[in-house]
Amino acid sequence: MTSLTASSTATRPSRGPRGPRGLLWTVLRLHRPVLIAWAVATAAAAGFLVRLYALGDEARAGQSACGSPGTGLPPCSAVDAITADTTYGNGLSLMATAMSWLVFPVAAWAGAALIGRELESGTADLAWTQSVTPTRWLAARLAVPAVLIASGTGVLVLLYDWARLDGNPDLTGDWYYSEVFLATGPAAVAYALAGLALGVLAGMLTRRALPAGGLGFTASLVLYLVLDHYREDLRPVVTRINPITPDLPRSAWQTETEWGTGMTTTFHPQSHRWPLHLMETGIVLAVAVTATVAAFALLRRRTA
Amino acid sequence: MTDTAMEAAALGRRFGRDGDWALWDCTFRLPAGRVCAIVGPNGAGKSTLLAHAAGLLRPTEGTVTVLGTTPAEARERLAYVAQDKPLYPQLSIAETLRMGRELNPGRWDQGVAERIVADGDLDPHARVRTLSGGQRTRVALALALGKRPELLLLDEPMADLDPLARHQLMGVLMADAAENGTTVVMSSHVIAELEDACDHLLLIGGGHVRLAGPLDDLLAAHVLVTGQDGDLDPHTVVESRTTGRQLTALIRPNGPIDEAWQTAEPSLEELVLAHLRSPEAPVLTLTGEDEADAFEADEQEADAEEADAEEADAEEADAEETTV
Repeated sequence: MTSLTASSTATRPSRGPRGPRGLLWTVLRLHRPVLIAWAVATAAAAGFLVRLYALGDEARAGQSACGSPGTGLPPCSAVDAITADTTYGNGLSLMATAMSWLVFPVAAWAGAALIGRELESGTADLAWTQSVTPTRWLAARLAVPAVLIASGTGVLVLLYDWARLDGNPDLTGDWYYSEVFLATGPAAVAYALAGLALGVLAGMLTRRALPAGGLGFTASLVLYLVLDHYREDLRPVVTRINPITPDLPRSAWQTETEWGTGMTTTFHPQSHRWPLHLMETGIVLAVAVTATVAAFALLRRRTA
Repeated sequence: MTDTAMEAAALGRRFGRDGDWALWDCTFRLPAGRVCAIVGPNGAGKSTLLAHAAGLLRPTEGTVTVLGTTPAEARERLAYVAQDKPLYPQLSIAETLRMGRELNPGRWDQGVAERIVADGDLDPHARVRTLSGGQRTRVALALALGKRPELLLLDEPMADLDPLARHQLMGVLMADAAENGTTVVMSSHVIAELEDACDHLLLIGGGHVRLAGPLDDLLAAHVLVTGQDGDLDPHTVVESRTTGRQLTALIRPNGPIDEAWQTAEPSLEELVLAHLRSPEAPVLTLTGEDEADAFEADEQEADAEEADAEEADAEEADAEETTV
């Protein structure tokens, strides 16, 4: 206290403390614990992906055949790397799941902690009666997490792609597995941002922490499940009629098989991966933008 | 420059589409530089009115103007302390003041804010969540005054304070307001604490303005009469009570009062309580500035009121020299 009074009586120079200012400082300071948690989690995930990358060659060696003595193949007990491919495959699968499910905790957090709690406890009113408009207040609460989420997730997507090496489907999962499909491109970032926007909208709608967290989580879950269900319809499938066997190319995403005059199979060849991925990314981003616009509209209707 | 700090014109607010009207047809004008008390029973609409002035709520109908513009435009020049004193619990007191500085660039006065905190013997590094209700009030007021507002809106500011802290903070508030010409609008239940501090009164009941005007003018417009049961015509009776054959009434005189009555000027508390007990009493709004401005809801009383208002003006002019 003495230091406080001393500094106030001294002629205080106009320069303030270093570092971020204004609303940016406020958002970073208020959410410091979750900011630290996000930084630690991203760093840990990045480190884990680097380790998986290092394991990649060994894991592929472990894919070699082995047999019991006398078959002419190396004995399975000798192929130490046999555990490496399991570690590698499981690790990549875990990371894909974590990245594509990031949308859920982000939505719950944005609804509950970022917006709902502030409206419930009245601290939003406190902020709005400083010299910042509610619009700027909300913009900062969206922009700061959006940048941090997008950059963190973006780095993880790049590292994940890199750790997959050749993307051998036996080791890394086929491209059309839901989590793999999302984690190998910008859709992972788009989903996380949509989670943020849906959470913020839930917070503006419910104005209370717990309901906002629940609503944000539910809304993002619905988005995820609906798109997971309709993903194969985002682009026309290829149809192949074959009298005897399906004879599909490797890594084809088979969507339907019918017996008639022959066997009719519809599928997405691997070349459809990017068109499908970008289409889904676009839809998810459109949802994010719509939720953001709705949140601002609600805010403007409620405050002067 | 404007000489009106706050003005409402037919302000109405309804919560929900079919909800009750929290405020309806509120019309009043508060000159700048006043310390205005908003009194009224619980649920009268005091908080709703203050939230509108702070730009936190949008009127359902009518308008509210502060410092000559909309509340949104005046955001930088007004400060507001809500009834439950919301603060971020995870911040320390010093960080709370830092936030005031960060969010009010160009206006913030760190010295003023720190002095208020220091006067309460608060440790700047204490987290807000560890503070008592009274200590939170002190930090909230420090944040509000650090902004150097032209209009300070306080919703039940002293409710959580012990009498000593209440007296001390009220003193800080009044000294600051006098020094900077800040207009203060505060709602309160405790009428006694307002009597010395306030020079303007807004009485709200049932979402409607019941009494508005300079305190002295309002007091002068009423007379407390006591006597044997008798006729009080042509005066407007706000409230009358009979004890045995003794009658006590608060009236707004229209012309000379019969000498059979004992008369006294009512206290603020008597004035407020009489109006709260008699919701049907006619509305009285005095502007106390220009006699032509004075308007009366109850038209038959207008002449007498104007005379009173004029008289009170003169008294007030004298009084203004000595207040502060």
